[in-house]
Amino acid sequence: MRELLLEADALVRRFGGLLAVDAVSLGVRRGDIHGLIGPNGAGKTTFLNLIAGVFPVSAGTLRFRGDDITAWSAARRARAGVRRTFQNLKLFPEMTALENVSIGLHASTRAGIFAALARLPGQRREEREIATAAYAALDFVGLAHQAAVVAGTLPYGHRRLLEIARAMVAKPPLLLLDEPAAGLNETEAANLSALILRIRDEGSTIVLVEHHMDVVMAVCDTITVLNHGRKLAEGEPAAIQADPAVIEAYLGQGEASIGEAADAHA
Amino acid sequence: MSAPPLASVTAPPAMASRVATAVVLVALLALPFFQPHQFVLHMLALVAISATVALGLQLLLGFSGQLSIGQAAFYGIGAYTSALLTTKLGVPFLGALFAAGIVAAVTSLLMVPITRLTGAYLAVATLGFSILVYLFIKNEEWLTGGSFGFMGIPRASVFGTVLRNPGHAYLLCVVVAALVYFALAQLQRSRFGRAINAIRQNEDAARASGIPVTLLKSQCFVIAAFVAGLAGSLYAHQVRYLAPNDFTFWKSIEILIMVVIGGMGSLFGAVLGAAVVVLLPEVLREIGDYRMLVFGAVLMAVMLFGEAGVAGFLSAIGRRLGRALRSSGGDGGATQASAARKDRARA
Amino acid sequence: MGAGYFAELLVGGLAIGCVYSLVALGFAMIIRATGIIHFAQGELLMLGSMVALSAMWVLPKLPAIAVLVCGMLAGGVLAVAMEFLVYRPLRLRRVPLMNVITATVGMSILCINAARIIWGSEPLRYPELFATSAYEFLGLRVSPQLVWIMVFGVILMGLLQLFLRHTRTGLVMQAVAQDADAAQLMGANLTRIMVYTFAISGMMAGAAGVMVGSLFFSFFEMGFVTGLKGFVAATLGGLGSLAGAMLGGILFGLIETFSAVYVSSAYKDGIGMVLLIVILLFLPSGLVGLWKGRR
Repeated sequence: MRELLLEADALVRRFGGLLAVDAVSLGVRRGDIHGLIGPNGAGKTTFLNLIAGVFPVSAGTLRFRGDDITAWSAARRARAGVRRTFQNLKLFPEMTALENVSIGLHASTRAGIFAALARLPGQRREEREIATAAYAALDFVGLAHQAAVVAGTLPYGHRRLLEIARAMVAKPPLLLLDEPAAGLNETEAANLSALILRIRDEGSTIVLVEHHMDVVMAVCDTITVLNHGRKLAEGEPAAIQADPAVIEAYLGQGEASIGEAADAHA
Repeated sequence: MSAPPLASVTAPPAMASRVATAVVLVALLALPFFQPHQFVLHMLALVAISATVALGLQLLLGFSGQLSIGQAAFYGIGAYTSALLTTKLGVPFLGALFAAGIVAAVTSLLMVPITRLTGAYLAVATLGFSILVYLFIKNEEWLTGGSFGFMGIPRASVFGTVLRNPGHAYLLCVVVAALVYFALAQLQRSRFGRAINAIRQNEDAARASGIPVTLLKSQCFVIAAFVAGLAGSLYAHQVRYLAPNDFTFWKSIEILIMVVIGGMGSLFGAVLGAAVVVLLPEVLREIGDYRMLVFGAVLMAVMLFGEAGVAGFLSAIGRRLGRALRSSGGDGGATQASAARKDRARA
Repeated sequence: MGAGYFAELLVGGLAIGCVYSLVALGFAMIIRATGIIHFAQGELLMLGSMVALSAMWVLPKLPAIAVLVCGMLAGGVLAVAMEFLVYRPLRLRRVPLMNVITATVGMSILCINAARIIWGSEPLRYPELFATSAYEFLGLRVSPQLVWIMVFGVILMGLLQLFLRHTRTGLVMQAVAQDADAAQLMGANLTRIMVYTFAISGMMAGAAGVMVGSLFFSFFEMGFVTGLKGFVAATLGGLGSLAGAMLGGILFGLIETFSAVYVSSAYKDGIGMVLLIVILLFLPSGLVGLWKGRR
């Protein structure tokens, strides 16, 4: 039995009077692609933000690789190996694609102000390494030909890929993907599924928040379903698809399949 | 998965740009040989000094996105520190110059907690700090001479040789400005420069990539203060008389105007802006009184019509010329990408 | 210290506190509606003061109320002009917030230097606005200037509260301040509300300008420091809260007046700056935020 990379224990998040996440516990096994689904407003993105450290938990604990990271800042978690993409894309619009990705390597490199000013050979070597690794990441997601293009001018699909490249360039042990398939057409979604599987093969464990059921069913090993901030069901994709409670949550009545229900919701 | 070897993340500056910078620098250094009038040398020295402070603010504002309207405080601290060290303690000029930067930098550590603030709150906090420094300079007469002024500051000297020749004093200011310029240009293209740029463009994403945002922002403050301190020292030994009114809020605003007019984010722009702000009132004597009025209007206009400023305007022209000269019908994007490919092949 | 001296300080602190409250209200209203820290708010104070003074030069027999109204009108009109000529185009172009704030700095510079050109750089004396002999109150002598400033200040703040709570426009303004998008969906005319917000802020500032002018004197840079202190007051009370602005103003007026005596009068302006930095660092949501947190 593979060990748990991430353990969330009864996480709670309140916003004033609103209980967005209600005592959700979750364990992510190393090497898994763990899906997190649920109807709109279920608390999926909020939960993801709790893992990423965007805001603090109202209650509960979070352990990553054995460490208690509940009180850690977002940047500290990122440095420890928890990387993420954003639902509404947070790229650096004035930088090229290559520069955007190179930011993902900031935490794994060292050259500081002095090294840059003195143009130490170590610094120059590090710059070459960063450039090479960043380019390789772009190649991995299929954007190598856009390396010198300014990110703000890229088409939407490429921007989504760029965000993923930046998040995975440092080969993070844990990668959080927040609705990476949003706005993609069928072909792009299929390519995304293949990409996610390849990222996992490179060694990252993935937590995926997603509405696009084809992608979810194609890549996930385990799925957790949230509704109204609470965990509704958890298990393998086939079991979840057939779970009547899950289907009802999506549509309120019996429905033939989760896929259709989710499409109706999306 | 093969990748061509890359030399650096950012393409190095185009050859044309490097040549242009070299030409400008040589011209500035060669100027004294043409024996211009002493007043011209003095004004250009002041431009170089102002450019140095403006470059520091460019790092703070243009690169890391922190609006500080308190740089005059560090400029003043540097000026008075250098004046005190040379007159009261007989410290040689170069030592005082360096010490001025250090003292200003250390003082800026007081501001480090402020870097947690954003936007206008940061601006107001820097303003408040700058007012406190001004009050200190004005009130502590035993130290600074207060409103009576600080007189008798010696000329700059290099390794024992006093720079009596105004051409030499001018060269000193230009050399310091050039060193600061090239140092900041180097930082801009480095890992540090990319990180602070990332902070400016999207702070959340920078955090999510593991960048220690507050630490880097603080480092920018310290560097900008150091640079302002250096400039202050040069100023003290150039005009050889200091008064608190030289270091009020208005000075901070002037420095801001230099950066904004010149173009946010452009080091060359900061220098241009300094030249405009210092020289324009001399060139247009009539507008002397209306100077700040015009600058206030220009500030609003630039905010309304685009932050690229004079430098942006010039580089847009440069790009058009470049395209016209290449005139093989290729579009700007292709030229950019092919230039990047050439760089990679060269590496 | 004797009771008489204490009473003097108290009244002085409360009076200048009312002035700061008016300026702070202007800041708070604009921040609530637009998110902008309006750097030129102090200049509205100054211009209101100068215009009212000019009115008195032209019509020396003008009663105090009319002078106050004059200053308020000037402040209001100029604020609306600023909004129309500069801030509205910036808002419509969706310019980033930092640039808008920089533009308000530019506006501030423009106003200060325009005033210097028009009215000169010398401080200008206000003629006596109120009865010159001191009032006797509970056996203590109090300057009438200070009393009337407090009276007018409280009246203006009271009128503002009535306006905001009991008129349709006022309620719409509150709605916009809380959630501009929702208010627009409900039919609020955002442009008109912006104009009203700036107009009222300008009028508050103009009134404050007349009060400060009558207390001390008018000069082209008077708005800068007083505006900054108004901002400190607003921050102390809790930025974005109108009650906080009023509370912060009074409190800051008292703090400043009393510490000038106990600490040092040379650093009097510095007290506000230190307070500002301390609040921004340790209590950013001000006293109101503290009170809300405790509940």
